[in-house]
Amino acid sequence: MLVDFELIQNAQRGDAAAFNQIVSAYRRRILGTISRLIGRPEDVEDVAQEVFIRLFYSLEQLRTAEVFEPWLYRLTVNASYDYLRKNRRRQESRMADLSEQQVMMADAAAGSRAQSDDFERRRVRDTVADLLSSVSEEDRILLTLKEVEGLSLKELERIYHVNENALKVRLFRARQRVLKNMKEVTGSPAKTAPTGEAE
Amino acid sequence: MMSDRLMADWDERESRLDELFRAYAEACPAPEASANFMPGIWAGIEARETSRNVFGRMAKALVTAALAASAILTLLVSMNSDRGFSGTFVQALTADNISQLEPFHLDRISEMEQQ
Repeated sequence: MLVDFELIQNAQRGDAAAFNQIVSAYRRRILGTISRLIGRPEDVEDVAQEVFIRLFYSLEQLRTAEVFEPWLYRLTVNASYDYLRKNRRRQESRMADLSEQQVMMADAAAGSRAQSDDFERRRVRDTVADLLSSVSEEDRILLTLKEVEGLSLKELERIYHVNENALKVRLFRARQRVLKNMKEVTGSPAKTAPTGEAE
Repeated sequence: MMSDRLMADWDERESRLDELFRAYAEACPAPEASANFMPGIWAGIEARETSRNVFGRMAKALVTAALAASAILTLLVSMNSDRGFSGTFVQALTADNISQLEPFHLDRISEMEQQ
């Protein structure tokens, strides 16, 4: 844990300085997690602020030190999930509103961006975003926490309050869906998935 | 033979996916928070406090109005009940003209059957 439980207790009593210290301690970690969960650097800070605002309002419910970090992760997951859900809706309406000329302009802008230094990073982010579009937002987040963030099943169990076997099944199914989608997105040779559970 | 090829292909995809996830973790580093990060959080908290207060005041006004309405209704009901009959249910039945009704005789049914 990055902070003492005493500091959390002070924040619970309304100590703004203690709350600021908690935010400072966890800011970088939360920003990193959100960045990988939503894959959009421009919106990471907004989502992180929302996480800490939710933390401020729910801090008084916390009773033990051990649950603080899984619980902060849970707030992060929920805020990222809300963002992804909202963003999907916004993206759909945005694309529907674009005229042909606007689409061409957007393509040209994307072309010039492609020449920039972060082209490779963007390509990886877009590829993974496309791959993960074949699963629900919940599964996308679960898969990212496991495969990208590197959380263990035990840690996930504490965040989701779901038993390990249920998590394994859900992760396996989500991964299978992503693998099937891989052909279309990355252009790997078309073959049928072998049957049977891998784990 | 065919299934071996399929399995090999699937394994290849699995490892490519793992590689892609690793690359994704590197492509999404933790960004540095801007100078506006902390003030932004407090601004958000204050905005919610304000809306909570407005909502709280509205809720209080609604509760007061509901209490006043229920007091008025209680008063009206009690005024109306003063005008009505105040006694027990049995007394009410006695006071009614029920005694004038003809009692029901079972022997009349047997008479009907005999006919």
